[in-house]
Amino acid sequence: MSIIRPFRADDLFKFNNINLDIWTETYGLGFYFNYLSRWPDMCSTAQHPNGRLMGYVIGKAEGSSHDFHGHVTALTVAPEYRRLSLARTLMNFLETVSDEVYGGLFVDLYVRCTNAIAIDLYEGLGYSVYRRVREYYGSLGLGPGGKDEEDAFDMRKPLVRPNGRDMIVSAHDVS
Amino acid sequence: MSTLALERQIRPIYDSLDSGSHKSALLACNKLLKKHPKNDHLKALKALALTRAQKFEEAIALCEEVLATKPTDDGAINALMHALRHLGRFADLVKLFEDAFKQQPDNDELGRQAFFANVRAGNWKAAQLLANKLNKQFHNDRYIFWGIMCTVLQANDPMTTAEMREILLKLAHRLITTSWKPAEVHADRLYLFVTILQQLGLYKDARELLNTESGRFHCARNLSCDYLRRDIMRAGDWQREEAETAEQRILSKRDRNWLEFVSILDATFLPSALPNETTCESNSSSPSSFLQRVEKTRDLFTKVAEEDGSHERAAWLGLMELERRCGVHGIVSEPSRLLDLLKRYFRIFGDKAACFEDLRPYTDLGSDVLADWLAFLEGITHSPPSNTALSRFINAHKLLRHGLSVAQLTPDQEEIRAADLVRGYFEALPLEKDLPNLELQPADDLAVLAGQVYANAFTLDNAAAHLHKAIVVLEYASKKSPQSYQIHLELVRIYRLLGAPQLALDHYRLLNVKQIQNDTLSYLILSRSTNFSLAATGDLTYASECLESSHIYFSNSQETSEFIVKAFSMEKYSQISELVVFEERLDNSLQRDLVKIEHVRLRISHEPITPELVDMELIELKFIFDRLHHDNRDLEVLPNYQPRGQLSFLSQTTLFGREPATGWLSAFLKIYIKTLSEASDLDPSVEDDKLLIGDRPRQCCSPDASIPLMERLTIQTTEELSELTENELALFHYVNDLTDWLDPFHNFLRPQGESPKQAPKNGQSSNDGVPSDGNGKKLEDAPPITEPPDSILSYFKNAHAKFTGAVEGRRPFYEILHIATLTQEALLLFFICTKRFKDASIVRINKLGVLAQHIKSLRSSAADVVGQIGAQLINISELEGTADKRRQFIEHCEALQTHTEITHEYVLEVGKRLTESQRKVLEGVGRGIERIRKTPM
Repeated sequence: MSIIRPFRADDLFKFNNINLDIWTETYGLGFYFNYLSRWPDMCSTAQHPNGRLMGYVIGKAEGSSHDFHGHVTALTVAPEYRRLSLARTLMNFLETVSDEVYGGLFVDLYVRCTNAIAIDLYEGLGYSVYRRVREYYGSLGLGPGGKDEEDAFDMRKPLVRPNGRDMIVSAHDVS
Repeated sequence: MSTLALERQIRPIYDSLDSGSHKSALLACNKLLKKHPKNDHLKALKALALTRAQKFEEAIALCEEVLATKPTDDGAINALMHALRHLGRFADLVKLFEDAFKQQPDNDELGRQAFFANVRAGNWKAAQLLANKLNKQFHNDRYIFWGIMCTVLQANDPMTTAEMREILLKLAHRLITTSWKPAEVHADRLYLFVTILQQLGLYKDARELLNTESGRFHCARNLSCDYLRRDIMRAGDWQREEAETAEQRILSKRDRNWLEFVSILDATFLPSALPNETTCESNSSSPSSFLQRVEKTRDLFTKVAEEDGSHERAAWLGLMELERRCGVHGIVSEPSRLLDLLKRYFRIFGDKAACFEDLRPYTDLGSDVLADWLAFLEGITHSPPSNTALSRFINAHKLLRHGLSVAQLTPDQEEIRAADLVRGYFEALPLEKDLPNLELQPADDLAVLAGQVYANAFTLDNAAAHLHKAIVVLEYASKKSPQSYQIHLELVRIYRLLGAPQLALDHYRLLNVKQIQNDTLSYLILSRSTNFSLAATGDLTYASECLESSHIYFSNSQETSEFIVKAFSMEKYSQISELVVFEERLDNSLQRDLVKIEHVRLRISHEPITPELVDMELIELKFIFDRLHHDNRDLEVLPNYQPRGQLSFLSQTTLFGREPATGWLSAFLKIYIKTLSEASDLDPSVEDDKLLIGDRPRQCCSPDASIPLMERLTIQTTEELSELTENELALFHYVNDLTDWLDPFHNFLRPQGESPKQAPKNGQSSNDGVPSDGNGKKLEDAPPITEPPDSILSYFKNAHAKFTGAVEGRRPFYEILHIATLTQEALLLFFICTKRFKDASIVRINKLGVLAQHIKSLRSSAADVVGQIGAQLINISELEGTADKRRQFIEHCEALQTHTEITHEYVLEVGKRLTESQRKVLEGVGRGIERIRKTPM
């Protein structure tokens, strides 16, 4: 039981219960407004009927004609609202818009190679590892997971046709 | 030199600016300017370099110089644009581009930039006219829509009258109707059209538009359009039709958005559909048809719920909401129906963390079934241990607590409950003992709950022992789950209540609050921070925290308007109004100015009171006074687990039981504006130019803005008075009496020459207290000297009596500190207000010797009182942080040591840190007072 509605600028005043969680970054105003002023239809918030925000997804459409696709920039659910399939609902929303509004060929996202829970979730939603991006999270340095901590998987889900996989590229080659 | 050669020399300046080497950029500009002293591009670049190097005064002067030449050179315009944007001079930006566009009317790009400049400045009318002009000249559809959007923004501007709003909306309506091309509709244009119709109340037209092929297409794919469609259906009273759509979405598209269920419920309980026995309106339906509708909805939700099972919560909660609404409308239902639903829901979803929040609104049960429900919850245990069982156990405890009656809330019973929760916490911890420390322990909520139970016990009997136990448990939990923000937040609140500000700040910092969160969360630590600040001793922790938390407002004024511009250029009309409102809300944030006033309060306690400080703060505070504030503070960030009808945890842990708001702010602004006005020589007519950064803030349409400021300062509203503590109110009256007494003498001595004093520049003093006519003598005589009102001295005496009473009555440290810091503040305000009369020559020339004598004697008595308070604080501090206090702390927490995890050493450590923090603040404030008392002002 959640309200699925557009992500709005004033959600920034209320998203603390989501963003105070360690895994969710709070960016500068420009980050959110860049998405809202360009792809507002790819941003959505889940809200509890009591008014508390539960999670949100922020995405964009990018690429040139042959690889035009939807991209999940941020997907997050507050700790107290996890295990309610909210991530699945928000991802479904983004996939539908990527497909039906933007005519994207696939949806992609980056995930830390060590984040097994997230990878499982995305695999369950039909995403698969397309390539490994070296040092994508390099700024944090090597954690206990070694290289896995720094590298990201670029995961994709085809909307129209499948793509190849199992390539390794450097961080410079991705946007 | 050829243009090409000059360009080649200019390029490195850009490189320097890009790499942040402002100094080398400046040097290069100066060097080239020697050869090309009239080159606008170079001057604009120099202005930009100066801005980046924070040399604002020079930058502004240079910007104005270039502006005056009305540059048309692309390079000059761009550089100047960046400089002006950095300086927040949006009005100048408008001028820059409008002048350039006038000179090159065929330049589409310049026209667009002139439009954007107006958008940045919020000049909707000018922007609209410009958009029309652009459309006429360059024939582009988007310019028509830009103009329409600006018309709507102008209509909704708070300064627009109701009549004008109507006219503007009708104009927008006419424009959009004539330029509407159904075949080329995109979602945001549709959104704009529908909002215009909505604001004009033309719901039928709006519905028709949404029902067109493109309307349906966009509503099915664009959340903003669909959300707006729901509003239209509600406003137009078409809930029945909306319910049909919702039913279809639920059944055929498996849509489980709660809004669909609400649509069906709203239609079921439409006011016109309710059987109304008292009014018997003709359109109200018969009881039987109404009940049939309820039954139909119930059947639908039951069917969906059974199908969904544990996959979706919506239909289950829909069923409970149906029962709740039946109850509200007095429809007799099976009493056990809701109870059965609650139990069933708990069985299915009890392992979800959200279960408590989901069920809370439905647990106001009648006495007949309440006992059954509570017995059901009490039967929930967490054995055999598993994460699922633990979640159920936690949810059961939250629900049980929510249902407690007032009679069950005694300190002893709360202690027993807290002990149970703590036991549950330690029993559950081994479940995830190997969890990486970035993850949250599933048992965390038990510690969080225990913290709230202890806080409630403290509210009931004021015994600090409860809070001591709370911090022992929570500190332990925070080590096990270092990333739990709820645990840190509870500790922040409890440490403040215990008068241990450093520990509160430590936990606050662990939250890593940043960006916009500074506006919404800094109240947790900065509210009344003067109470705990050691600024007077040179410890600027809180003062710098205030400054850091205020950066976001600068980012807002720099960045948000850029994205409003971007939304225009991307034609995302659905976002523009929201971004405009956001910018306004953050710009006029209540927390922004609460922090500002705290910063001023801290500043005067550690900085010398120079004329520059007085003037600059006065100007800023006067601007703030006219703001219409928005309260953006997130007061819901901490979940509340206190029983229904009781104060929330946040309220219980708010110092003095009330959080400062607009009334408090207004009262403190009056205190400071009055005091600083007395000390300042600024002429109000020249103040507007003094804000070096940015344009003059837009003034609100406050109903009494027409009354002169000084008159408004004398008005006291009940809102203000109700938000102040007793001691703050005393300070408020004290300042009134002090300034009333001294005002005639200040006015007499204040220079009143023909040319008003200019703003202070580069720290030079403009306030020397000497009258301006050359020999410093005014023609008229000094006003007759009056005795100081008794209330001034009695303020200090009363404060001392209250302080002693609080110490002897063993009141909480924050209360004792409150009296002490306010009395210190009163003395500082006295210094500021009487500084003018310290100059012996002025006093002698103006024959104000008697007045100076009064002031001197008052000052000495007040300083004596303040000094005694300071000394007493130091004395008390010596009793804190001692072995005795630590022993006491350990005794309070003895019961907790039955858990093997809570060792004696651990409790001792927590107690040591607490008492040490308390000692430090008591001693620090005491020493600060000592310093201030001795400072020659």
